[in-house]
Amino acid sequence: MPIIEVEGLVKTYGKTNVVDGITFSVDEGEIFGIVGPNGAGKTTTVESVVGLRKPDSGRINVLGLNPIEDRFELTEQVGAQLQEGRLQDKIRVSEAIEMYASFYRNPKDWRKLLDQLGLGTKADSQYRNLSGGQKQRLSVALALIGSPTIAVLDELTTGLDPQARRSTWDTIERIRDDGVTVVLVTHFMEEAERLCDRIMVVDQGRVAATGSPAELIERIGGDQLLRFRPSEPIDDADLKELVEVDSVEHRGSNVVVKGHGNVVHAVTSLLARRRIIAHEFRVDQTGLEDAYLEITSDRRSRGNDVEREAS
Amino acid sequence: MTATMQLTKVEGRLFVRDPIALFFGLVFPALLLVLLGAFFPGFTDPSPDLGGASYLDVYAPIVLALGLATLGLVTLPPILGGYRQLGILRRLRTTPVHPARLLSAQLIVHLAVALVAGSAAVVAAVALFDVDVPQLPIWLATSYLLAAASMFSIGLLVGAVARTSVSAQAIGMGIYFPMLFLAGMWIPRSIMPDTLRTVSDLTPLGAAVQAMEDSWFGVAPSAWTLAVMAIWAVVVGLLAVRMFRWE
Repeated sequence: MPIIEVEGLVKTYGKTNVVDGITFSVDEGEIFGIVGPNGAGKTTTVESVVGLRKPDSGRINVLGLNPIEDRFELTEQVGAQLQEGRLQDKIRVSEAIEMYASFYRNPKDWRKLLDQLGLGTKADSQYRNLSGGQKQRLSVALALIGSPTIAVLDELTTGLDPQARRSTWDTIERIRDDGVTVVLVTHFMEEAERLCDRIMVVDQGRVAATGSPAELIERIGGDQLLRFRPSEPIDDADLKELVEVDSVEHRGSNVVVKGHGNVVHAVTSLLARRRIIAHEFRVDQTGLEDAYLEITSDRRSRGNDVEREAS
Repeated sequence: MTATMQLTKVEGRLFVRDPIALFFGLVFPALLLVLLGAFFPGFTDPSPDLGGASYLDVYAPIVLALGLATLGLVTLPPILGGYRQLGILRRLRTTPVHPARLLSAQLIVHLAVALVAGSAAVVAAVALFDVDVPQLPIWLATSYLLAAASMFSIGLLVGAVARTSVSAQAIGMGIYFPMLFLAGMWIPRSIMPDTLRTVSDLTPLGAAVQAMEDSWFGVAPSAWTLAVMAIWAVVVGLLAVRMFRWE
């Protein structure tokens, strides 16, 4: 059941349509990712969803509420962690979260929440003395303190080191396990692939694609690249006969096979039948990163064509 | 605890953690009186020009007013301007908290600081320099708090709209000096030309000096001066809530 519905959202700054007709819906209990290049309109979209921006046209429904007209009620039910928000340098972690707790009707137990986010030992630290990861986790804690139904997290892991990023991912999964629907804006494909049930790719203010990570990868073919060094020479023709194989190349003593579907099994069984040992066997799979680049660059070139035709 | 109380508690602690704001807020009026009394020759002597009162007698209420103006127009606005500039208000904006609560918290904290600072200044003046004990202490406290509320409302309005802490400071200063001038900081109100004194009567700080001077030396402050301060406090305070910008 969708709990966020956005239809034909348009937001214009000056003469540019930053958001140019975005439509999507988010189902209860899922982690919904919004990805796209810088300036694609991701942040404007989520800021409209939480009622900070008034759309120029389009319809937004969040939990049956209109984000602009019912803004107060919306803030009770939607926790948001937005970019460029911060706290006072000298505020203590416990002071900040206790204060934020007092803003809501049904606040969570802030001590428990800090423990859950790994900030239990930092309760007495001042904000300025926290690491980047700790600040982000505190910001997540503040977004969750009001027991929201939906959490909106914008560029949560930007600027974090890989370790802090991973621990933040665990946090996000735990939020979902608690039954909170998560809208996650990111430009890390690894993050989107690992966390999101569904992803919307936004480019130049429009929706370029929507689907699960697997569906998006599938859409661009889902190629797999096999590399190995055969113990004995192998005939290219034999490999090419396999329906799963698309092309075969030689790089020095290595064979590189590009294929699809169950190509790994097809190639390894052929090698086994020929009693050839494959040394240094490696499989590279197309990831969401490739799919994303394909989807966005595809739109770019199409967009350019249109412009050229127009001029 | 309610949101306003929580905000007040946290803002109070943050105020105490800022040594410069704390020093200026709490000690400045008392220190200024001490410096005037100790280093200006003849400042504490009875003067025939002033009908037997000393310059310090006349200046004591002005120093109290100066302390309030400093707190309200110099210290307060950059706090909110800085919150806006740094994104602290942006973070708060996603919560159900109403701007009136944020402004109330600042008002309460600054009133508390003013109360301590004002008491310290009165004690210093009386104990060190033989200034008369305030004759009508309740009226003096009432006038002082109304003056504080009117000054802080103006500071809140500046803080409600200024984009950065620097612009808040600049706007605050732009109001600070004319306000002090009209309060008799450089030309005592008693020797101001009539038109100027009428303008002074209508400003919150001019009314404040008159009301505090009267209370100190045994005359109940006029309803007019109290009304001027109250109207400024309420009207500008409501305006601050109405015009408050998160970003």
